[in-house]
Amino acid sequence: MGKLLRKIFLVDLFQGLLVTFRYQQPKYIYTERYPEQRPKVAERYRGAPRLNINPDNGETLCISCNLCALACPEALIVVTSERNETTKRKELTTFTYDTSRCMFCGLCEDACPVDALELTQDFEMATYTREGQIWDRQMLEEGPKPTQYKC
Amino acid sequence: MPDATFLDSTELVLNMGPQHPSTHGVLRVILKLDGEKVLGTDCVIGYLHRGVEKIAENRTFAQFNPYVDRMDYVAAVSNGLGYCLAVEKLLNVEAPPRAQAVRVILTELNRIASHLVWLGTHALDIGAITPVFYCFREREEALKIFEKYCGARLTTHAFRIGGLLYETYDGFEQDVRDFCAMFGPKVDEYEELLTNNRIWVSRLKGVGILSAEECKEYGVTGPVLRAAGVKWDLRKAQPYSGYEKYDFEIPTAQNGDTYDRYIVRMQEMRQAVRIIEQAVAAIPEGPIMGKVGKVIKPAVGEAYVSIEAPKGELGYYVVSDGSTQPYRCRVRPPSFVNLQALDRMVRGGLVADVVAIIGTIDIVLGEVDR
Amino acid sequence: MADEQKPEGSEAPPPPAGEGAAPPVKPAAPAAKPAPPKPAAAAPPKAAAAHAAPPKPPATMAAIPWVSDLSREIKERFGDRIVETSTYLGQNFIVVKPDAAIPVMEYLKLEADFDYLVDVTAVDWPKRAERFDVVYILYSFARNERVRIKTYVPDGFKPETAVGVHLTANWLEREVFDMFGIEFDGHPDMRRILLPEEWQGYPLRKDYGILQQDDRWVQENLNIESGQ
Repeated sequence: MGKLLRKIFLVDLFQGLLVTFRYQQPKYIYTERYPEQRPKVAERYRGAPRLNINPDNGETLCISCNLCALACPEALIVVTSERNETTKRKELTTFTYDTSRCMFCGLCEDACPVDALELTQDFEMATYTREGQIWDRQMLEEGPKPTQYKC
Repeated sequence: MPDATFLDSTELVLNMGPQHPSTHGVLRVILKLDGEKVLGTDCVIGYLHRGVEKIAENRTFAQFNPYVDRMDYVAAVSNGLGYCLAVEKLLNVEAPPRAQAVRVILTELNRIASHLVWLGTHALDIGAITPVFYCFREREEALKIFEKYCGARLTTHAFRIGGLLYETYDGFEQDVRDFCAMFGPKVDEYEELLTNNRIWVSRLKGVGILSAEECKEYGVTGPVLRAAGVKWDLRKAQPYSGYEKYDFEIPTAQNGDTYDRYIVRMQEMRQAVRIIEQAVAAIPEGPIMGKVGKVIKPAVGEAYVSIEAPKGELGYYVVSDGSTQPYRCRVRPPSFVNLQALDRMVRGGLVADVVAIIGTIDIVLGEVDR
Repeated sequence: MADEQKPEGSEAPPPPAGEGAAPPVKPAAPAAKPAPPKPAAAAPPKAAAAHAAPPKPPATMAAIPWVSDLSREIKERFGDRIVETSTYLGQNFIVVKPDAAIPVMEYLKLEADFDYLVDVTAVDWPKRAERFDVVYILYSFARNERVRIKTYVPDGFKPETAVGVHLTANWLEREVFDMFGIEFDGHPDMRRILLPEEWQGYPLRKDYGILQQDDRWVQENLNIESGQ
């Protein structure tokens, strides 16, 4: 008898509807309003690459050891350097990074011995051209500059 | 399948094409129909074939690690675990206990995330639109933990050969505990929405029955096998990465139909929470990386290691010829083998059942095609 | 094409692993992640030494013989069609002659409860006479054991299909055919599974380059010059 009543009065369906109606309260709204509300990404987030600069003397931290290029599974980093005769060290000339093929795995960041190459929290890296996705040294040091939206 | 002619009015060949909202990826199913009843199917796959096994032969062992996540992209951490375990077996090292505990936590979180995607998309295919929002909302919490730990939500590259690279972040244990506390009641909510719902039951009960014998013949593993009554789980049968320390049950069901697979996967989510709670209560201190040299060069040999991925038995058969690159890395994908059984499961059903069955096998085309 | 000149090119010259002494010191440096300048210094004296020493034979798998009830039964039953039964790192495998693979699988399924075919795959060793290693991995629920059956087949040989014994082999053998070109005799549906039907070439063979593609198929069907 109970079963028949439950069947006629759609009890099981109403139980489900109760769950849905409970979530109508405004405090349960889960939508993030992007681009006004930027998502807060984690510290370890693997986003856009950046070549770090020594804050004291403004020079690049990269020592041109080429370890990042060797570590990359896609072989998309090209590091060229020239040897400085006075200090007998290698100095970085160009550093090319192809973000269109990058899979943001972080192996280059892990390989860098001086923490010069870092994957930052920037994720807005869209460009209008394919060539714009190949970043040179200046782009890498400054980072992408996405358009800021103001509402 | 025999050719159907235009004059043959009883049989219709219909293409459920690669672009279809319910096929969980680019899967093409050619249906041979008699009205609405399905007489036979033919799956055409390979639309997402990326040649991952060929790529493996041209990358070093550590460089191949990120590619592995991209096969079953819904549950990337499991793929990484399987690959790292296979290479560690070849190297004959074992990850230290702390690494193993953290691996278990992340893998079980990943199992929950994968089952949430399954539940959301399966319910959506059947027609229940609400669960997908709730499932993805909970999945966000799990993905936030992945992001905080390794930096990426979906293609995590969380594990390294020999252990872990990243130490757990401050607040990892608290986040995981909060997730477990939050998640238990949510599973109850999903059950309230679906389990006794008459529409759900009538759509799922009796559909796509695959008995235990048929499962074993077709090599089907994972929740599909457990729903048919076979109490077998690789985490209990051949434990890896410290699973023998945790106390959990293997949910099974009797009939082997779609409704039972739903019940089995819901129970698996609960059991996964149980495992996580046990693991996070007792993460041992110690190193996180085993004794692996900087250059990974295993001895000549081969090994087959398989794990219980959320979809079934995921196996890696790695052959090494002594160099730094795998000579052959074969991935045994659970979705590929499970999809073979689609033909047996849909015989005699209706077209709407085909959609339900594809959802219940829980395939990810990235894994089917590699 | 820049990829091929990049460090991954260490797979390009496949020396028999015997010359392992001197060359890997050099190629290991660019091929692997860390490249400390030290191996460069160590290389010249080693290279000089290697020229003097005789070349070592190629390294093989350090497998030890597998002795158990099961291996003894199989050896008794099949005699000289079993080439070896060994174990490596705790995983047992049996190497059989090509025509004995299916009878051994049948025997294992019926008598020894190995009722689940986990995988069928192949490995290409182009330098060997029997080029392909066809590998079947079986598992027994009752015994909770896994065993591998390997056969060495030459190019062009058609092994018998395992579909009669285990239905799982259907798609798995289609994939082996697709990737390696090994046709299975008696298979109900031997056609390509992952690649399009008209594709020429078998990608997982070692003579198929990683960037090589069936350009003709791409041009005909996708109307583009090449996929690269």
